[in-house]
Amino acid sequence: MLKATKKRFDIKITQANSTVSDTFELDKNIVKVHGVLVTSDKDDLLYYRGTQKIEINKEEFFPENYESKLLMSGINVAPKQRYYDLGGVAPGNGRVQITYKDLDDGRTAFVPYRVSLYLDCEMEDEL
Amino acid sequence: MMKEGVIITKINIKRQGERKHFQIKLPNDTKYIIGIEYGGRLVSKGDIKATDALPHAIAKSEVALVETPYVKAEYVEVKEKARTFFKRNQLVGELKLQSSEESNWFYSADVFLNDSNIGLGDFSQSGFPVNDFTHGNKRTEEIVKVDAESTIIQGWYLDAIGKTQKTDINYEVTIYVWINVEE
Repeated sequence: MLKATKKRFDIKITQANSTVSDTFELDKNIVKVHGVLVTSDKDDLLYYRGTQKIEINKEEFFPENYESKLLMSGINVAPKQRYYDLGGVAPGNGRVQITYKDLDDGRTAFVPYRVSLYLDCEMEDEL
Repeated sequence: MMKEGVIITKINIKRQGERKHFQIKLPNDTKYIIGIEYGGRLVSKGDIKATDALPHAIAKSEVALVETPYVKAEYVEVKEKARTFFKRNQLVGELKLQSSEESNWFYSADVFLNDSNIGLGDFSQSGFPVNDFTHGNKRTEEIVKVDAESTIIQGWYLDAIGKTQKTDINYEVTIYVWINVEE
Protein backbone atom coordinates (compact mmCIF):
# COMPACT_ATOMS: atom_id res chain seq x y z
CA MET A 1 0.00 0.00 0.00
CA LEU A 2 1.23 3.49 -0.82
CA LYS A 3 1.13 6.30 1.69
CA ALA A 4 2.13 9.94 1.69
CA THR A 5 5.09 11.10 3.72
CA LYS A 6 7.07 14.31 4.14
CA LYS A 7 10.84 14.44 4.42
CA ARG A 8 12.92 17.29 5.77
CA PHE A 9 16.61 17.95 5.26
CA ASP A 10 18.51 20.83 6.82
CA ILE A 11 21.62 22.77 5.93
CA LYS A 12 23.31 25.50 7.96
CA ILE A 13 24.51 28.76 6.45
CA THR A 14 27.18 30.16 8.71
CA GLN A 15 28.96 32.62 6.42
CA ALA A 16 27.63 35.43 4.30
CA ASN A 17 28.02 35.09 0.52
CA SER A 18 28.92 31.42 0.77
CA THR A 19 27.80 28.30 -1.06
CA VAL A 20 26.77 25.21 0.88
CA SER A 21 26.17 21.89 -0.82
CA ASP A 22 24.85 18.71 0.74
CA THR A 23 23.53 15.38 -0.44
CA PHE A 24 20.79 13.49 1.35
CA GLU A 25 19.43 10.02 0.85
CA LEU A 26 15.77 9.14 0.70
CA ASP A 27 14.38 5.94 2.21
CA LYS A 28 14.52 2.95 -0.09
CA ASN A 29 10.76 2.45 0.00
CA ILE A 30 10.01 5.92 -1.41
CA VAL A 31 8.59 5.49 -4.90
CA LYS A 32 7.72 9.05 -5.92
CA VAL A 33 8.58 12.62 -5.06
CA HIS A 34 5.59 14.86 -5.64
CA GLY A 35 6.63 18.24 -4.36
CA VAL A 36 9.34 20.44 -2.98
CA LEU A 37 9.33 23.36 -0.54
CA VAL A 38 12.04 25.43 1.13
CA THR A 39 11.77 27.22 4.46
CA SER A 40 14.12 28.67 7.02
CA ASP A 41 14.32 29.71 10.65
CA LYS A 42 15.01 33.24 9.34
CA ASP A 43 12.73 33.37 6.37
CA ASP A 44 13.55 36.97 5.43
CA LEU A 45 17.16 35.95 4.80
CA LEU A 46 16.07 32.98 2.72
CA TYR A 47 13.60 35.14 0.80
CA TYR A 48 15.95 37.98 -0.07
CA ARG A 49 19.36 36.28 -0.19
CA GLY A 50 18.86 32.67 -1.22
CA THR A 51 19.28 30.83 -4.49
CA GLN A 52 19.66 27.10 -4.92
CA LYS A 53 20.11 24.18 -7.25
CA ILE A 54 18.19 20.99 -6.54
CA GLU A 55 18.96 17.61 -8.06
CA ILE A 56 17.16 14.34 -7.53
CA ASN A 57 18.84 11.19 -8.80
CA LYS A 58 21.44 13.42 -10.53
CA GLU A 59 18.69 15.06 -12.57
CA GLU A 60 18.56 18.82 -12.21
CA PHE A 61 15.08 20.11 -11.34
CA PHE A 62 16.00 23.64 -10.36
CA PRO A 63 19.19 25.05 -11.86
CA GLU A 64 21.81 27.18 -10.19
CA ASN A 65 20.63 30.69 -9.30
CA TYR A 66 16.97 29.66 -8.99
CA GLU A 67 15.73 31.99 -6.29
CA SER A 68 14.52 30.47 -3.03
CA LYS A 69 11.57 32.87 -2.85
CA LEU A 70 10.05 31.04 -5.81
CA LEU A 71 9.91 27.83 -3.78
CA MET A 72 8.58 29.37 -0.57
CA SER A 73 4.96 29.46 0.56
CA GLY A 74 3.63 31.76 3.25
CA ILE A 75 1.12 30.84 5.94
CA ASN A 76 -1.64 32.29 3.78
CA VAL A 77 -1.32 29.28 1.48
CA ALA A 78 -3.42 26.26 2.41
CA PRO A 79 -1.22 23.52 3.90
CA LYS A 80 -2.08 21.03 1.16
CA GLN A 81 -1.05 23.48 -1.57
CA ARG A 82 2.29 24.67 -0.24
CA TYR A 83 4.58 22.35 -2.16
CA TYR A 84 5.91 23.11 -5.64
CA ASP A 85 4.47 20.34 -7.80
CA LEU A 86 7.07 18.15 -9.50
CA GLY A 87 4.48 15.80 -10.91
CA GLY A 88 5.60 12.51 -9.32
CA VAL A 89 9.29 12.03 -9.95
CA ALA A 90 10.83 8.57 -9.55
CA PRO A 91 13.61 8.98 -6.96
CA GLY A 92 16.02 6.57 -8.72
CA ASN A 93 19.03 6.16 -6.45
CA GLY A 94 17.25 8.30 -3.85
CA ARG A 95 19.99 10.91 -3.63
CA VAL A 96 18.85 14.50 -3.29
CA GLN A 97 21.44 17.22 -3.68
CA ILE A 98 20.95 20.85 -2.74
CA THR A 99 23.52 23.52 -3.54
CA TYR A 100 22.51 26.67 -1.74
CA LYS A 101 24.06 30.06 -2.39
CA ASP A 102 23.74 33.01 -0.05
CA LEU A 103 24.12 36.43 -1.71
CA ASP A 104 24.06 39.82 -0.06
CA ASP A 105 20.91 41.75 -0.90
CA GLY A 106 21.25 45.11 0.83
CA ARG A 107 17.94 44.81 2.64
CA THR A 108 19.10 42.22 5.17
CA ALA A 109 21.94 41.88 7.66
CA PHE A 110 23.49 38.43 7.75
CA VAL A 111 23.19 36.15 10.74
CA PRO A 112 23.71 32.38 10.61
CA TYR A 113 20.54 30.62 9.56
CA ARG A 114 19.09 27.25 8.68
CA VAL A 115 17.62 26.26 5.34
CA SER A 116 15.18 23.36 5.33
CA LEU A 117 14.29 21.42 2.22
CA TYR A 118 10.96 19.60 2.44
CA LEU A 119 9.97 16.85 0.05
CA ASP A 120 6.45 15.56 -0.39
CA CYS A 121 6.91 11.84 -1.07
CA GLU A 122 4.93 8.70 -1.61
CA MET A 123 6.24 5.55 0.01
CA GLU A 124 5.42 1.89 0.03
CA ASP A 125 4.05 0.75 3.31
CA GLU A 126 6.51 -1.63 4.94
CA LEU A 127 3.75 -3.94 6.15
CA MET B 1 8.78 12.60 -24.50
CA MET B 2 8.56 16.25 -23.46
CA LYS B 3 10.48 17.47 -20.47
CA GLU B 4 10.35 20.80 -18.66
CA GLY B 5 13.36 22.96 -17.97
CA VAL B 6 14.15 26.51 -16.98
CA ILE B 7 16.65 28.99 -18.39
CA ILE B 8 17.83 31.70 -16.00
CA THR B 9 19.02 35.08 -17.24
CA LYS B 10 20.22 37.95 -15.09
CA ILE B 11 20.18 41.60 -16.08
CA ASN B 12 22.20 44.09 -14.10
CA ILE B 13 20.87 47.64 -13.84
CA LYS B 14 23.13 50.37 -12.55
CA ARG B 15 21.87 53.73 -13.77
CA GLN B 16 18.58 55.55 -13.37
CA GLY B 17 16.31 55.15 -16.34
CA GLU B 18 18.62 52.54 -17.86
CA ARG B 19 17.24 50.72 -20.88
CA LYS B 20 18.64 47.32 -21.67
CA HIS B 21 18.31 45.10 -24.72
CA PHE B 22 19.32 41.51 -24.22
CA GLN B 23 18.99 38.06 -25.74
CA ILE B 24 18.10 34.77 -24.11
CA LYS B 25 19.56 31.72 -25.81
CA LEU B 26 17.50 28.58 -25.51
CA PRO B 27 18.80 25.02 -26.01
CA ASN B 28 18.54 23.66 -29.55
CA ASP B 29 16.04 20.96 -28.64
CA THR B 30 13.53 23.46 -27.20
CA LYS B 31 10.03 23.04 -28.58
CA TYR B 32 7.96 25.61 -26.71
CA ILE B 33 8.29 28.39 -24.21
CA ILE B 34 5.70 27.53 -21.60
CA GLY B 35 6.13 30.03 -18.80
CA ILE B 36 7.84 33.18 -17.56
CA GLU B 37 8.76 34.22 -14.04
CA TYR B 38 10.89 37.02 -12.68
CA GLY B 39 12.70 37.88 -9.47
CA GLY B 40 15.39 40.25 -8.39
CA ARG B 41 17.80 41.44 -5.78
CA LEU B 42 19.30 44.71 -4.66
CA VAL B 43 23.05 44.63 -5.26
CA SER B 44 24.45 47.76 -3.65
CA LYS B 45 24.16 47.78 0.08
CA GLY B 46 25.44 51.30 0.47
CA ASP B 47 22.58 52.82 -1.43
CA ILE B 48 20.69 54.28 1.51
CA LYS B 49 18.06 55.99 -0.62
CA ALA B 50 17.16 52.78 -2.34
CA THR B 51 16.94 50.83 0.88
CA ASP B 52 14.84 53.50 2.53
CA ALA B 53 12.54 53.61 -0.44
CA LEU B 54 11.58 49.97 -0.05
CA PRO B 55 8.02 49.82 1.17
CA HIS B 56 7.48 47.75 4.26
CA ALA B 57 4.15 46.10 4.81
CA ILE B 58 4.42 46.13 8.56
CA ALA B 59 1.15 46.44 10.45
CA LYS B 60 0.87 49.94 11.81
CA SER B 61 0.07 49.31 15.39
CA GLU B 62 1.83 50.53 18.48
CA VAL B 63 2.19 48.15 21.35
CA ALA B 64 2.84 49.88 24.67
CA LEU B 65 3.50 48.30 28.03
CA VAL B 66 1.74 50.30 30.75
CA GLU B 67 2.00 49.75 34.46
CA THR B 68 -0.56 51.40 36.73
CA PRO B 69 0.45 52.46 40.25
CA TYR B 70 -2.44 50.50 41.82
CA VAL B 71 -2.29 47.20 40.00
CA LYS B 72 1.01 45.44 39.69
CA ALA B 73 -0.01 43.37 36.70
CA GLU B 74 1.12 44.53 33.27
CA TYR B 75 -1.23 44.78 30.37
CA VAL B 76 -0.84 45.50 26.73
CA GLU B 77 -2.52 48.46 25.18
CA VAL B 78 -2.90 48.41 21.44
CA LYS B 79 -3.40 51.72 19.66
CA GLU B 80 -4.46 51.44 16.11
CA LYS B 81 -3.66 54.11 13.57
CA ALA B 82 -5.91 54.76 10.65
CA ARG B 83 -4.90 52.52 7.78
CA THR B 84 -7.60 52.83 5.27
CA PHE B 85 -5.24 53.95 2.54
CA PHE B 86 -3.94 51.64 -0.05
CA LYS B 87 -0.26 52.07 -0.71
CA ARG B 88 1.03 52.17 -4.21
CA ASN B 89 3.33 49.27 -5.08
CA GLN B 90 6.84 50.39 -5.96
CA LEU B 91 7.42 49.90 -9.67
CA VAL B 92 10.94 48.65 -10.36
CA GLY B 93 10.84 48.51 -14.13
CA GLU B 94 9.22 47.24 -17.29
CA LEU B 95 10.09 43.93 -18.87
CA LYS B 96 9.20 42.81 -22.37
CA LEU B 97 10.08 39.68 -24.29
CA GLN B 98 9.77 38.89 -27.97
CA SER B 99 10.19 35.61 -29.77
CA SER B 100 11.96 35.49 -33.13
CA GLU B 101 9.09 33.36 -34.42
CA GLU B 102 6.26 35.83 -34.11
CA SER B 103 5.78 39.57 -34.31
CA ASN B 104 5.10 41.72 -31.25
CA TRP B 105 5.90 41.05 -27.62
CA PHE B 106 4.69 37.74 -26.26
CA TYR B 107 5.31 38.78 -22.66
CA SER B 108 5.13 42.17 -21.02
CA ALA B 109 5.19 42.86 -17.29
CA ASP B 110 5.60 45.63 -14.79
CA VAL B 111 8.19 44.47 -12.29
CA PHE B 112 7.11 45.38 -8.77
CA LEU B 113 9.16 45.27 -5.61
CA ASN B 114 6.57 43.61 -3.43
CA ASP B 115 2.94 43.80 -2.44
CA SER B 116 2.74 46.94 -0.29
CA ASN B 117 -0.82 46.17 0.79
CA ILE B 118 -0.28 42.60 1.92
CA GLY B 119 -1.06 43.50 5.52
CA LEU B 120 -4.21 45.43 4.78
CA GLY B 121 -6.71 42.73 5.71
CA ASP B 122 -4.96 41.72 8.90
CA PHE B 123 -7.06 42.70 11.91
CA SER B 124 -5.51 40.23 14.30
CA GLN B 125 -3.10 42.72 15.94
CA SER B 126 -1.17 39.66 16.99
CA GLY B 127 2.26 41.23 16.78
CA PHE B 128 3.13 38.93 13.89
CA PRO B 129 3.95 41.45 11.14
CA VAL B 130 2.65 40.63 7.72
CA ASN B 131 5.45 40.29 5.17
CA ASP B 132 5.91 38.70 1.79
CA PHE B 133 8.21 36.07 3.23
CA THR B 134 5.79 34.98 5.95
CA HIS B 135 2.36 35.52 4.41
CA GLY B 136 3.15 35.51 0.69
CA ASN B 137 1.34 33.36 -1.79
CA LYS B 138 2.95 30.45 -3.56
CA ARG B 139 4.59 31.73 -6.71
CA THR B 140 3.97 30.12 -10.03
CA GLU B 141 5.12 31.03 -13.49
CA GLU B 142 2.91 32.96 -15.89
CA ILE B 143 1.83 30.53 -18.55
CA VAL B 144 2.60 31.37 -22.17
CA LYS B 145 2.77 29.12 -25.20
CA VAL B 146 5.24 30.21 -27.85
CA ASP B 147 7.12 28.21 -30.47
CA ALA B 148 10.84 28.21 -29.85
CA GLU B 149 12.25 26.85 -33.11
CA SER B 150 14.69 29.74 -33.52
CA THR B 151 15.94 29.37 -29.91
CA ILE B 152 16.47 33.09 -29.36
CA ILE B 153 14.34 35.44 -27.30
CA GLN B 154 14.80 39.19 -27.59
CA GLY B 155 14.33 41.07 -24.33
CA TRP B 156 13.92 44.66 -23.30
CA TYR B 157 14.03 46.17 -19.83
CA LEU B 158 13.52 49.76 -18.69
CA ASP B 159 14.38 50.96 -15.20
CA ALA B 160 11.70 52.85 -13.29
CA ILE B 161 12.74 52.79 -9.63
CA GLY B 162 15.98 54.67 -10.24
CA LYS B 163 14.13 57.27 -12.22
CA THR B 164 11.48 57.70 -9.52
CA GLN B 165 14.05 57.98 -6.75
CA LYS B 166 16.32 60.15 -8.93
CA THR B 167 19.35 58.09 -7.99
CA ASP B 168 21.44 55.28 -9.43
CA ILE B 169 20.34 52.01 -7.90
CA ASN B 170 22.32 48.89 -8.59
CA TYR B 171 20.05 45.86 -8.80
CA GLU B 172 19.61 42.61 -10.64
CA VAL B 173 16.52 41.33 -12.39
CA THR B 174 16.35 37.58 -12.90
CA ILE B 175 14.20 36.19 -15.70
CA TYR B 176 13.13 32.56 -15.69
CA VAL B 177 12.03 31.12 -19.01
CA TRP B 178 10.30 27.75 -18.62
CA ILE B 179 10.63 25.59 -21.70
CA ASN B 180 9.49 22.27 -23.07
CA VAL B 181 12.34 20.17 -24.37
CA GLU B 182 11.95 17.09 -26.53
CA GLU B 183 13.96 14.17 -25.20
